Amino acid sequence: MGYVANDQDAFRAIADPNRRKMLDAMMAGEQTVGQLTALLGVRQPTVSQHLRVLRLAGLVGERREGRNCFYSTNPSELAEVAAWLAKYRAFWNDRLDALAVHLKRKESRGV
Amino acid sequence: MRAIRLTRIYDHPREDVWAAIADSQALAAWLMPNDFQPVLGHGFTFRTKPAPGFDGIVHAKVLEIVPPERLVLSWKGGPLDTTVTFDLTALSATRTRLTLVHDGFRGLSNLMPRFFLGLGWRDLTGRKLPDYIARAKSG
Repeated sequence: MGYVANDQDAFRAIADPNRRKMLDAMMAGEQTVGQLTALLGVRQPTVSQHLRVLRLAGLVGERREGRNCFYSTNPSELAEVAAWLAKYRAFWNDRLDALAVHLKRKESRGV
Repeated sequence: MRAIRLTRIYDHPREDVWAAIADSQALAAWLMPNDFQPVLGHGFTFRTKPAPGFDGIVHAKVLEIVPPERLVLSWKGGPLDTTVTFDLTALSATRTRLTLVHDGFRGLSNLMPRFFLGLGWRDLTGRKLPDYIARAKSG
């Protein structure tokens, strides 16, 4: 399997089909190591190693609850969606003001 | 919240407001330069200044067009695959209410697979994805 040298190297992290399978499962919802092990049908240490690669690449985050650890695709992604929403809200407010100016200008030209 | 909803009232007849949202030149004047055509299914682009993580191109398509009431566009820019709906209601002969809904912002579970599909697993260059992740981290 091999580790990724650079923690930004997400491309190499997802080059492995088992890691892609794990990502797909984690996109659908949080997974435990046990669930992922069952999904892939490989040994648990192999799953743990894959998780390590995905975490180093910034693709996966973990959440601890008691003795359990849940893995999911990185929640910072959700923060990005929120940032896009805020940006677009400001954008549309601005553009709809511009539409008012456009309408007035057309009217004054009697078009 | 997963959608943006804005309402404005313009002191102009609905036909005039419609002319401003369903015409390429008018859209360029208040929104962005584009090659829009008021034709169902027409694919076109809006072009604006690039920003980090966004090449400045919005890929759009006319999904629904009902003059002079409703225009629905698909709106794909950056990693987003969304829709923008303009609804016009005539409040009087000279007043129009515009409701804009920008919908389809979703969490990771929907965003990432589309993003990966868009690039194609095989076509990832090793540059695009790390950039994307760096952006997500800073966001």
